[in-house]
Amino acid sequence: MSPIVSSNTPAPVILAKSVSRSFGPVIALSDVTIAGHAGSVHAITGENGAGKSTLMKILAGVVSPSQGHVERDGTVMRFRSPQDARRAGISTVFQEFTLLPNLTVSENLALGREPGWGPFVSAAAMRGDAAKVLQKIGFERNADTLAGALSVGEQQMVEIAKGLMADASVFIFDEPTAALNKSEVQKLESIILTLREARKTIFYISHRLDEIFRVCDTVSVMKDGKLVTTRAADTLDEQTLVNLMVGREVGFLYPQRATSQGNMRLTCSELVVTDDWKPVDLSLHQGEIIGLAGLEGQGQRELVRALAGVSAPISAKIFKSDVTGRDIPYRPQLGVVACQKAGVGFVPGDRKGEGLYLDLSVSDNISIGTLKSRMLFGRATVDKVRVRRIATDLGVKTHGLDQKVGTLSGGNQQKVLLARLLAAGVDTLLIEEPTRGVDVGARAEIYSLLRRFTADGGAILLTSSDLPELLGLCDRILVVRGRDIVGEVKGEEATEETVMTLALTGRHARPLEKAI
Amino acid sequence: MTALLKSGRSGVNVYAIATPAVIALGLSLSTSHFLDSGNLSNLAQQLAPLAIATLGQLLIALVRGIDLSVGSTVSLVTCVISASGGSAYGVLLALCLAILIGGANGIAVAFGNIHPIIATLATMTFVQGLALYWLPSAGGQAPELIVSLANSHLLGIPTLLVVAAFCFAATAALLNTTRLGLRIYAVGANPLNAFFNGVADKKVTVVAYVLCSVLAAVAGSVLAGRIGAGDPLVGSQFALNSITALALGGVQFSGGIGGVTGALVGVLTIGFMRNGMNLLGIDAFLQSAVTGVLLLAAISFQRRNTVGF
Repeated sequence: MSPIVSSNTPAPVILAKSVSRSFGPVIALSDVTIAGHAGSVHAITGENGAGKSTLMKILAGVVSPSQGHVERDGTVMRFRSPQDARRAGISTVFQEFTLLPNLTVSENLALGREPGWGPFVSAAAMRGDAAKVLQKIGFERNADTLAGALSVGEQQMVEIAKGLMADASVFIFDEPTAALNKSEVQKLESIILTLREARKTIFYISHRLDEIFRVCDTVSVMKDGKLVTTRAADTLDEQTLVNLMVGREVGFLYPQRATSQGNMRLTCSELVVTDDWKPVDLSLHQGEIIGLAGLEGQGQRELVRALAGVSAPISAKIFKSDVTGRDIPYRPQLGVVACQKAGVGFVPGDRKGEGLYLDLSVSDNISIGTLKSRMLFGRATVDKVRVRRIATDLGVKTHGLDQKVGTLSGGNQQKVLLARLLAAGVDTLLIEEPTRGVDVGARAEIYSLLRRFTADGGAILLTSSDLPELLGLCDRILVVRGRDIVGEVKGEEATEETVMTLALTGRHARPLEKAI
Repeated sequence: MTALLKSGRSGVNVYAIATPAVIALGLSLSTSHFLDSGNLSNLAQQLAPLAIATLGQLLIALVRGIDLSVGSTVSLVTCVISASGGSAYGVLLALCLAILIGGANGIAVAFGNIHPIIATLATMTFVQGLALYWLPSAGGQAPELIVSLANSHLLGIPTLLVVAAFCFAATAALLNTTRLGLRIYAVGANPLNAFFNGVADKKVTVVAYVLCSVLAAVAGSVLAGRIGAGDPLVGSQFALNSITALALGGVQFSGGIGGVTGALVGVLTIGFMRNGMNLLGIDAFLQSAVTGVLLLAAISFQRRNTVGF
């Protein structure tokens, strides 16, 4: 099935030669050489922040390399824009789609090269062209549908059709299955195999191992901006691939778990988040980190947001006590500010959009946490000493406390957000995606910060789409599926299989002997 | 998004169409003169300039912009035409000035990254000054040809109505059948993604602003024909009225949604309201207040629908 990939293969269709790229002080990519051959599906894999996306953006003409260059059939190319790359026959399906919602499918496909006479566009020709391409990939919706009415999977198919329309010879898929359901994934895989039959060159960025082994014949592993290795897929197995990707003991990243459980911090019974939720029960102890696991969009985010007072739950009986064990009235219906006063802080996943004031200084961002109790027109005095103490305590790296938060790295931004809540004196944290967009080094620091917080009497409930993170960090993992908590796994006993089985099927993995 | 699906990208919905129809029905029942051919023909002639200017504003709204300078462009055009001693060159000069104004707006917005409100506010002020300098007070003499045309009838229909209808048809054809039209919608939905798809988004924006000013010049010529003279302040209400008309017609100023049908029903709503209050004998000062309330009511019936997935 897989074509032979070895050193004597014909000249590559596309070649990134010794490309490097840095963004400010951050080196995203250093000296990577990667080749794409006709009729090959080439997986690019690695952890978040390994440089996969940057590499693909260089091939797609979105980012230009600071060193090195891209060759197309042996010719050195200088892409100034995505159009340049497209003209060179490189089509990219980005994670964020570029369809225009108010245009129909056929108009989207034709845009930029509309068929017609003089200034006029021929709707019939657009429909005809679209029908031909869409039929090839098995797109079932009417081509006169507005793109805004399509599901994510359908949008992605249209994006692929755009590449076919341009008669591209290189296709780049950037994490294509992140937003797709199972049948859409199958469809995508069959499209990719068809493209391979047609002798196209395909790059497939993903960190889903099963997919890589199903569709790819060549695998390149990246780590910290460098290329670790490129091998034929049939010389690898899952375990080897994981080791190559991680390149270190996974446990090293995570601090020790809690040894004992403290008093009850939050008890919710019959929490109904929205109409389509089943009532759920949840308890969080002092000293504990609980993780919510599950596939994308199963309701983890809604659950945390309901508890944090962002969007009021339909009904909830919640008991909360503080560090000394005293009962604190807690009603998420009253909103985030009230919840924070009761000692529960919320860290949104979209740090830049919802969490931080990017144009304000580090010190302002932190001290806002201490000002919540002031009157609206009260004097806002900043306790510089306290802010500085908290910032150094959490290891926020800045040029000074007056540096704008927007200029900090993801990890430091996250620390500032945590610092704000600590300054506000919360004893419980509800966190969405604690380390999204945070590099590996800073991740370890954030994990140990979270542990220190719980060791000092705090409690944490968090969601993460990064399963290894949940497995490494949490004391208990609750699995959310179809707007319900379907199971609980102890942190030290949890494996990818146990959690994924719950997330996929809603049942615990069957013991082996029963399965036979 | 569901709202987008129901109405497509024209933005027109049941309420937008029903509003002028209901007002017209109400007026034809409550007053005896509304349906008189004299009243209707007069109304059509009154509304034609605003209708033409609104079409220009529509193009701008579709590319996420707003043009506050249409009014002063209309005024300037009436002045230039009327102060050229009846020469046809005046019309040509006015047209050239309009292209310059639109080009300046478009370049400032697209290439200078200046907010459309600020950019067109600046040209509005500049052009207003120019109009007052050209013709400090109402006067002059519009070319004979334009005046007679504006007051003539074609097969019993006021010529101005025919001109306005022609402008509507042309704009509809532009938006629905040409490459430029498709690209205007694409840029309005998301300029960056349009650019990724090979659309020169900045050029499209500039062209939209130029066309808007050209339509304002047509509106100004028509208006000069109707009043027979130039007036440096005659267009002062055009910018806000055209924006109001679009809002009533379901056009979204966030871009990408709207069409000529919306512009038409919006203009009709404004015209019927004003005409009706005149017929009902409502005090002129009160009319403005009543209009405000009615607009708020009419618009709050319409769900906002923005482009997005």
